Amino acid sequence: MSKPQEFTDANFQNEVLESDLPVLVDFWAAWCGPCRAVGPTIDELAEQYEGTVKVGKLNIDENPQSPSRFGISSIPAVLLFKDGKVVETLVGVQPKERYEVALHQVAA
Amino acid sequence: MTSQTQPSEKSMKRMRNYVEKYRQKSGTSAHPNREVTDAVVLGLAQNVDALGRPLCPCNYYPDKQAEVDASRRWFCACDEMKQYKYCHCLLFVTPEGKPITEYLPEDHEGRQIYGRVKDPTPDKGREARHRAESTERTV
Repeated sequence: MSKPQEFTDANFQNEVLESDLPVLVDFWAAWCGPCRAVGPTIDELAEQYEGTVKVGKLNIDENPQSPSRFGISSIPAVLLFKDGKVVETLVGVQPKERYEVALHQVAA
Repeated sequence: MTSQTQPSEKSMKRMRNYVEKYRQKSGTSAHPNREVTDAVVLGLAQNVDALGRPLCPCNYYPDKQAEVDASRRWFCACDEMKQYKYCHCLLFVTPEGKPITEYLPEDHEGRQIYGRVKDPTPDKGREARHRAESTERTV
């Protein structure tokens, strides 16, 4: 069973921007209620897309450089990266199907 | 790590009481998933301890202290709640757990995420609605 990876400011360049696979990054914080609500969906997506999309989380309190760099304000914010570029931004608690549609597009 | 510091019981009690009273005042409900509410109340209480203000924990701030010094905009209840009855933190929602979006401008991210969610208690809340209306007139 695949779990979401933990992204950090230190590994962001290597794990996200230079990844061969498309990457989903969930920008979250421990005490953000909606982030808790999105968490189980991200867990499911990590398992569902294992091998085709890299799925992970970045704690914004512990890693302030990456959210600043990508203009994050409201969280949860899920960004999809392909070839080092942001191709989709999904803010708030979205239905799982919305993430799946976006992931199918980047994984195609 | 500061993000994991437990808030004081005093601040927790203060925020729990505030949230309950503001729900009554605004005619809103708690999210059905209690974990959502508990997380936000913890975040608010921690910000009270660290910053002296109940800064919304559902945003990223490059500098939390600078944000507190600059504006009350994100102190709970935030400007969006007072003007539009919209809480993106899901602390003040409908009984089904949806944030109220019907008063938001159509291009607001809340409308794009959740669609049009009707206010079940339109006679309550929106104590700063005049500010939202004056903004709409100038657009």
